[in-house]
Amino acid sequence: MSATVMDNPLRAGVRLERTADPCTVIIFGATGDLTKRKLVPALYRLVQERLVPGEFAVVGAARSEMGHDDFRAKMKDAVAQFSEAKRVDEEVWDSFAQGLYYLPVNIDSPDDYKKLSDLLDQIDRERGTQGNRVFYLSTAPALYAEAVKQLGQSGLVNQEKGWRRVIIEKPFGTDLATAKQLNRDIHEHLEESQIYRIDHYLGKETVQNLMIFRFANGIYEPLWNRQYIDHVQITNAETVGVEGRGGYYDKAGVVRDMIQNHVFQVLSHVVMEPPASLGAEAVRDEKIKAMMSARPFTAERVRNECVRGQYGAGSINGKPVPGYREEEGVPKDSTTETFAMVTMRFDNWRWSGVPFYIRSGKRLAKRVTEVAIQFKDAPHQLFGREMMEQVAPNQLVIRIQPDEGITLRFGAKVPGQVTRIRDVNMDFRYGASFGVQLAEAYERLLLDCILGDPTLYARTDMTERGWEIVMPILEEWAATKAEAPFPNYEAGSWGPQATHDLLASQGRRWRRP
Amino acid sequence: METQTHNSSAAVSVSGIDVSKLEKELAAMWQPAKNEDGTVAEAGTTRVCVLNLIVYAAQQEDRAEIDQLLDEVTEQTPGRSIILVADRDSADAKLEAYVSTRCQTSSRGAKQVCGEQITIEASGPVIETVSTAIEPLLMPDMPVFLWWKDIPHYEDKLFNRLVGLADRVVIDSLAFDHPHEDLLRLAEIIRTNPQFMLVSDLNWGRMTAWRSLVASFWDVDDYRPLLDQIDTVIVEYDPPDVAHSAIAPQALLIIGWLASRLGWQFLGQAPHSDGQTTHFTLQALGGREVKIELRALPDREGRDGWLASLTLRATQAGAEFRVAMNEAGTKLETEARIGDAHHVERVVAYEQKTEGQRLSRELGLLLRDRIYEAAVTAAAQLLAALSQS
Ligand SMILES: NC(=O)c1ccc[n+]([C@@H]2O[C@H](COP(=O)([O-])OP(=O)(O)OC[C@H]3O[C@@H](n4cnc5c(N)ncnc54)[C@H](OP(=O)(O)O)[C@@H]3O)[C@@H](O)[C@H]2O)c1
Repeated sequence: MSATVMDNPLRAGVRLERTADPCTVIIFGATGDLTKRKLVPALYRLVQERLVPGEFAVVGAARSEMGHDDFRAKMKDAVAQFSEAKRVDEEVWDSFAQGLYYLPVNIDSPDDYKKLSDLLDQIDRERGTQGNRVFYLSTAPALYAEAVKQLGQSGLVNQEKGWRRVIIEKPFGTDLATAKQLNRDIHEHLEESQIYRIDHYLGKETVQNLMIFRFANGIYEPLWNRQYIDHVQITNAETVGVEGRGGYYDKAGVVRDMIQNHVFQVLSHVVMEPPASLGAEAVRDEKIKAMMSARPFTAERVRNECVRGQYGAGSINGKPVPGYREEEGVPKDSTTETFAMVTMRFDNWRWSGVPFYIRSGKRLAKRVTEVAIQFKDAPHQLFGREMMEQVAPNQLVIRIQPDEGITLRFGAKVPGQVTRIRDVNMDFRYGASFGVQLAEAYERLLLDCILGDPTLYARTDMTERGWEIVMPILEEWAATKAEAPFPNYEAGSWGPQATHDLLASQGRRWRRP
Repeated sequence: METQTHNSSAAVSVSGIDVSKLEKELAAMWQPAKNEDGTVAEAGTTRVCVLNLIVYAAQQEDRAEIDQLLDEVTEQTPGRSIILVADRDSADAKLEAYVSTRCQTSSRGAKQVCGEQITIEASGPVIETVSTAIEPLLMPDMPVFLWWKDIPHYEDKLFNRLVGLADRVVIDSLAFDHPHEDLLRLAEIIRTNPQFMLVSDLNWGRMTAWRSLVASFWDVDDYRPLLDQIDTVIVEYDPPDVAHSAIAPQALLIIGWLASRLGWQFLGQAPHSDGQTTHFTLQALGGREVKIELRALPDREGRDGWLASLTLRATQAGAEFRVAMNEAGTKLETEARIGDAHHVERVVAYEQKTEGQRLSRELGLLLRDRIYEAAVTAAAQLLAALSQS
């Protein structure tokens, strides 16, 4: 990018939103599911909301043969079906569609990149997109490295004429070795500042709100440590099963699919120290620093502090559902875990001695993601032991989905002559407080990438650290596959009994979310 | 979306308004609904308050409009609203207050957002001092907004006292009765009293989309140098309903904004008007002249006082940048043209916001809007010159 960008005096003021450079977004995997469900609806919204400039274009690329107009028609249907508003504004669409193109591209074929390059140059000339490009890799993960290599060799990610960025979808590797290999492969052709590894959890408003909650309010931070906090529970529960992706899921399991990436991102927001600034590197430095202090798992810790589970038949919301091994694409004797509980410990001044209990799984009782901070008991039982036994310690719950909000539980006197205490919940719900729609994660993330802000994307070190932490768990469980007592929880329950026993043995219990 | 309101009986008292009675009634309204057998019928709603909003209504007729406005405001910015209905024409001293809650069930049914409302009806001599009845009703230490649509174009004690209570005053220059005089008066208020009164103008909010599109031309590196070569600006507008010969505040404000941001000075070259078009000449840094044309369009239904188009030209470079509203008033079209070689067009939705949504948006702003103040000041300079010529 040229270093002599002149400032724009008309941009000043509180009302005008951040604005993006002119650019072209190229989607590899444009005939796929994610493109029609999320990406194109999000791009359309960005145009509609004036968050991207007029000098903007989108190029779809995949192997299927089709013309620009076919692609436009398909994408128009997709926006009508999958956008929040479920409708398309004809005039806005027409203007968006003028900048919407399709090119048949095989990721393996160098010739196709030549064609792509020609098309992009033509778009730069016709639409003033200034050579700035985002390449979005929404294809099978096996193709990420090849796509980056080809982009590198064809010169398409060379930043002499405009900036070039690459968004990489999940999953990022299948274990530490493959994640490292993938990082090495892409670093051969890209600077870290060009790489945007998506974690759509980070695009969620409430995950971002965790930072606001912690660091914009003065009152919580002094309590946010081992002095006052007994332990932390993070629950990430889905009610769905494998939804026709049994083949993929059976190779992954919940640790790879959810914990290593999404749950760790949420966790790092809870554990991190206040960053020096909100700059992308400052925030990501603190997150990685927090995760670096996570105590490594040993085989013994895996046996004593972690629990794996796989669901059997049961029922969800009153409707019978099959067990995991009966799902399509799943082997009858599968030993893949669909549930995991792990106990994380952080060896640093702030968190020494505070366990973080994390559970994540499919086919659980309720769809919910939340962080519950359990405070210590009041230091002196002023009101007598019996009385205090019926009040639970203070608890602060940050709900991430659905029904985003914050609940604080504390003891209060029950009105009357005698002193009786009971727990009350003070509940704050975004939905009940602001009737406004929360922005879609993909919109926010795409815009951030176009704006060149990687704060909400995972950095190399974080992707590798996530894997590093979970590898001993994956290895221990793989080595003891035969012993896995699967299935060991009923669909529609809160996971294996062992998770409850584990907490009970430490004098604690799982919260019912 | 569905609205439910519950009203209490009036809390009238000769000695003024009974604040504790009103507070008690409001608290009772937040109780969960009970079935006949005393069991709780529905979960209680969350009492969330982010602000106080004092709404001034000059007459009973405005009430329906205000009701609708508050429905929408509650949904986005829950809080306490105090509606002051002032009947200035009546000689009878009257002061009455009653409370209600306003709950919005969103179309999905699940979300219920509530706000509380206190209505005060005052007439006669009481009006001047009614602010003392309002102060104890404000939620402690939450920001106070005053919605006084049409600023008074004379010294008004009630207005001044309410401004004294408020952190921010929200007006609507589209609704000005006397567009030129009121804009001049607004500039005067901003000039003499800048630390006390922070102003939001709904009409300025309507122009955000325009300003953002205009600004976005010069986010493009290739176009940026042309901003310093602009020599002609043409604004087309629909004249205000109340005064057809007046220039619409939107047109004056958009020029005021460009002039104040780009350092275009008014150096005393007398403006002239040929019927529908008013011409000004401004001077940019370095002495370049910038010709300004404000063109009134023939009257169109529902568009009184609105901008219709804005064109900026850098004649020597053969460049033209234009933003225009479509016929239906639902879209903005932009066009950037440099010589014959380069031409980019696009259409974006013009945010179809209701007044309530616009007001909500203003209620989210707590900072002083210096860009707006500078635009008003520059617009007032043009008006002053016009009235002298
Ligand atoms: N779907 C979701 O909700 C979701 C959620 C999170 C993450 N993801 C991730 O997002 C990525 C895309 O997911 P998806 O569900 O959209 O996958 P998909 O429906 O299977 O689409 C894959 C796309 O890749 C194209 N493709 C395959 N081989 C190609 C080649 N050699 N050259 C060029 N294009 C090729 C396919 O089109 P052709 O056959 O026409 O070439 C198709 O457009 C995956 O990495 C997935 O893990 C998806």
